[in-house]
Amino acid sequence: MDHVCEEQIFSSIFRTHSKTVFNYIFYKFGNEEKAHDAVQEAFVRLWENCAKVSPEKAKAFVYTVANNLYLNVIKAEKIRLKYSERDRDRTLETPEFLLEEKQYREKLEQALDALPETQRTTFLLHRIDGRKYAEIAEIEGVSVKGIEKRMHLALKSLREQIEGI
Amino acid sequence: MAKWLSGELSAEELERFKKSGEYASYVRLIETSGNLQAPAFELEAALDQLRGQTRKAPKMFELRPFKTFLRLAAAIALLIVGSYFYLNSLGTSVSTGFAQRSELKLPDRSEVFLNADTKLSFNEKKWENSRELTLDGEAFFKVAKGERFTVSTVHGPVSVLGTQFNVEAREDYFEVSCFEGLVRVAHKGGEVDLSAGSTFLAIDGKRIETEGTRGIQPTWMEDESSFESTPLKYVFAELERQFNVRVNTQNVDPRMLFTGTFDNTDLEMALKSISTPSQTLYRIEGDNVLFYAGNNSQ
Repeated sequence: MDHVCEEQIFSSIFRTHSKTVFNYIFYKFGNEEKAHDAVQEAFVRLWENCAKVSPEKAKAFVYTVANNLYLNVIKAEKIRLKYSERDRDRTLETPEFLLEEKQYREKLEQALDALPETQRTTFLLHRIDGRKYAEIAEIEGVSVKGIEKRMHLALKSLREQIEGI
Repeated sequence: MAKWLSGELSAEELERFKKSGEYASYVRLIETSGNLQAPAFELEAALDQLRGQTRKAPKMFELRPFKTFLRLAAAIALLIVGSYFYLNSLGTSVSTGFAQRSELKLPDRSEVFLNADTKLSFNEKKWENSRELTLDGEAFFKVAKGERFTVSTVHGPVSVLGTQFNVEAREDYFEVSCFEGLVRVAHKGGEVDLSAGSTFLAIDGKRIETEGTRGIQPTWMEDESSFESTPLKYVFAELERQFNVRVNTQNVDPRMLFTGTFDNTDLEMALKSISTPSQTLYRIEGDNVLFYAGNNSQ
């Protein structure tokens, strides 16, 4: 039967999926250490069970382990996300504009913290990592419809939070 | 709203949403959130750490992976020595000349199809961590699922999130069409998000409204070049690229708008397809084609 006990295959699976697992746990709990530990734990378990897991099932296996860690964590910490300065035409931006942008970003971060963990994770996996709904459904272990609902609710809450309605 | 983001809304649902008072705030929301970044993840360091923790290979495969590993290591060593002299140290480049087409698979299995007179470059080594390439010309991309994928052009970056799209970036002509998924085009300090079926066009830096595209891939992939209200000048330029001919004009206004299609495999047919709707005449002289207008309409 197909397995992942070979160095090449295992490393390749690690390279493909480790960052997603890392980001996923970080979006959930806002803690980098937990995210690192989750990656290590998930892949150690994969290695220990390598004879029983095929390359196609490896992705789901790793996500399941990551998902089940920290089941009893009560409160997530504040998610500290960086903002990337992408190619922008700086000459068009006035100090007032930049200040308003900064304030908007702060409100967004606060609103993200206030979201229920599942909505936040779904939203960030979509916006930052660019995952499609089907992939997020696989990572979270729910249906695509469930993910769509979470996105919808997340967008709604975020907007309400930011605009103070 | 989830369907809006994944590009699954119907045209009229989309119109209705756009007209609602909340549309603008949602657009801003997703744009700003799209600029957020997760913390850095040192993949190789984590992999090393993992290896440290899993020193004991599972018993039954103790001998075999080592041998295979040795064989692979030897092959890779040879490849590295060979390719070191062969490859450009700055990265990989692929280009097509006139009347040429090419396609390639990127390290993450994304596919790129190049139209004529196009140059594409990217850094294979950095591909795992960031999928970025530079394009001068026209290419159709089928991007494998994964993190952000960016195409840099002289007109600005085009970034996508797992999708199929076409970018044409020539001197003063910039057109991006999305066939699946979501594409983000940077334009004049702002960003335009294109969902499936939408097109962004800017000529000489000025944005031009377009109808949008139907189908699952650009027409040139099926050997046809199609244009919609495009100045003749660009139609002639494409003709030159597809057939490797030189186009000259006499009494023909290159700014005249042309809507139509020409076949990329038959020059005579292509010339007829252009001349008839634009009411011009043509003459072939070896590698040159002359489009001209009579003084009186006949």
